[in-house]
Amino acid sequence: MPHALHAFPYFVAAWLFFCGLYGIVTSRHLVHTVICLTVLQSSTYVLLLAIGYRVGAQAPVFADIAPGSVTVDPVVQALMLTDVVVEAVVVALLLAMVVKAHEKTGCVSPDELRSMRG
Amino acid sequence: MLAPIQLANLLPGLPVTLPLLGAALLASTRSWLSRAWADLLGITFAALALLADVLLLERALHGSFVYWFGNWYPRGSMVLGIGFVIEPIGAGLAVLAALLTLLAFVFSWKHVDSGENHFQPLMLVFLAAMSGFVLTVDIFNLFVFFELMSTSAFALCGLKTAEPAPLQGTFNFAVTNTVAAFLMLSGIGILYAVTGALNMVQIGLALGTRHDPLVLFAATLLICGFLIKGAIVPFHLWLPDAHAVAPTPVCVLFSGLMVELGLFAVVRLSSIVFGQSFALHTHALRAILATFAIATVLLGGIMCYAEHHLKRLLAFSTISHAGLMLLAFAVGGPLSVAAMLTYLLAHALIKSALFFTTGILLHRFRSISERALFGKGRGFGWVAVLWFLGGAGLAAAPPFATFVGEAGASFTAEQIGFPLVSWVFLFGGALTSAAVFRVGMRIFFGSGDEPPTDAAAEIGELPETKEQARIEIYQVVPPRVPAVCGRGPGVFGKVGARCCSVLPLQWPARARMPTLSTRATLSQCTPLAGGRRCPVQRCVAPWAACLAFCSP
Repeated sequence: MPHALHAFPYFVAAWLFFCGLYGIVTSRHLVHTVICLTVLQSSTYVLLLAIGYRVGAQAPVFADIAPGSVTVDPVVQALMLTDVVVEAVVVALLLAMVVKAHEKTGCVSPDELRSMRG
Repeated sequence: MLAPIQLANLLPGLPVTLPLLGAALLASTRSWLSRAWADLLGITFAALALLADVLLLERALHGSFVYWFGNWYPRGSMVLGIGFVIEPIGAGLAVLAALLTLLAFVFSWKHVDSGENHFQPLMLVFLAAMSGFVLTVDIFNLFVFFELMSTSAFALCGLKTAEPAPLQGTFNFAVTNTVAAFLMLSGIGILYAVTGALNMVQIGLALGTRHDPLVLFAATLLICGFLIKGAIVPFHLWLPDAHAVAPTPVCVLFSGLMVELGLFAVVRLSSIVFGQSFALHTHALRAILATFAIATVLLGGIMCYAEHHLKRLLAFSTISHAGLMLLAFAVGGPLSVAAMLTYLLAHALIKSALFFTTGILLHRFRSISERALFGKGRGFGWVAVLWFLGGAGLAAAPPFATFVGEAGASFTAEQIGFPLVSWVFLFGGALTSAAVFRVGMRIFFGSGDEPPTDAAAEIGELPETKEQARIEIYQVVPPRVPAVCGRGPGVFGKVGARCCSVLPLQWPARARMPTLSTRATLSQCTPLAGGRRCPVQRCVAPWAACLAFCSP
């Protein structure tokens, strides 16, 4: 069943995406929201790696493999690494904000923060 | 062989590298620098970036070209490197970004809370990201600049982290925009899987007329991602919160350019990447975009009129006007793109003027709720004048360039038998300017009833400057510049018109650009040239609408 197996990572990516989105929408805790965001983000990792994967191919380290041998696509791996870096920044920033919020107000629930308005 | 390094060869990279250098310098020395020096450095680098952008625009007006970083030229039909396309629209938007950043720096000079000098480097990073976003032709690079822009925006928005409200607003903003980025990235991944390319033009060529569910899915993901940035209903919820809590100079950049860049990216994608693929389905695409745009105009306009917190009011008016810009694009045809870009330019300048004026009020009276400011602005003649001029500009009243944009879009729409568009423009413009005029009448003349107390109007209303009795001259200058520039198709209007005439990026012989037959200038869109609404109605209606709402 090669087709079903090839499609599997894409299902995983979609599943992770919707899990993360559901978590963000229903979250009652700011740290939980940030973690859901990373779950959502990991769907893009799976998607990108699945796109670049080729059956029976080697890792794209060209120093010690014979010329002409088949490798998985290094471009999407580079994209994924960039993605990791970018998102590390976002998550760090968001968590720092949560820490600040907790320091100042003692709460980490979006509803409580909202009620502190005004 | 290494070519000798010449400044002219480096120029295309400078709009991004100069602000980044400045940001690195400022970030590494910020704890030693006094506030004045940090501001001065910020202004210097923003001014240098502006200079580079202007030089670039000047070159772009003589002919578009592509700059390949590190001389990674395409081999055959394969694009290897990352390129910047230097064409008038992108370069013009970069000039606008640098100009607004410079004005924001001047406005914040020494007084707007800089969060221990974090403000200046973050603003420079924001500028670099916006410049890169409008110049790049690599779709993944577009994503990276998008994320850089978003991240620095989150940090700028949350500068006043000592209060819960800014944190809440920033959090909403950050989560929504990060989800948008993932949607985009998924779309980019699928496009890469389909075409094996990351260069937008190459993707467009590889897609050709291919139109299947996968391409459609990728397009949906990408366009939704950018519409979230563009605050189009139903993705608009983050924008008022972000504006309510961000410092005034940051609001100027958010409303003036960041939101519109989302729409700009939609235009770019749908013309370059999906141009041929959607060629047979443009009507469907335009109908969908127009539906969302009209919903955005109506909702934004109504919410704007219902709002009593000045920054939130202006934020909702930005939503409404983003809807108008999308509507102008959705009308279709080269003229509508020209109209949209003219509208974008005029709106950016007018909205900056309004935000700067709000900043002056906040600075002077320590509050930006309509109720607290009621009747306090008596005797602030020039602030009032700027405020009312801004309101008139939002209504697309004749001396302002918004008028040209509105007329262009309405004219095109009437030609294709869709006269509703001009009414939507009239309605959106009138409603938002009515809100501005109502607030102006209450604040500067104390007329009408005292507005009701509104709990929502108190959010994020923290003075961002130190107590100070009088307004300094440098705080007066920034709002005046956009207000003057936004008027009439003057210098800026002409640049805008030229920008619009060259939407199809001219591509060097190595990789051919699909030539779109887009060669319209704004001269074709002489506002009074035709259409069903007579000139008198066109010119008088916005002013009449402004005046009608004057007496609350």
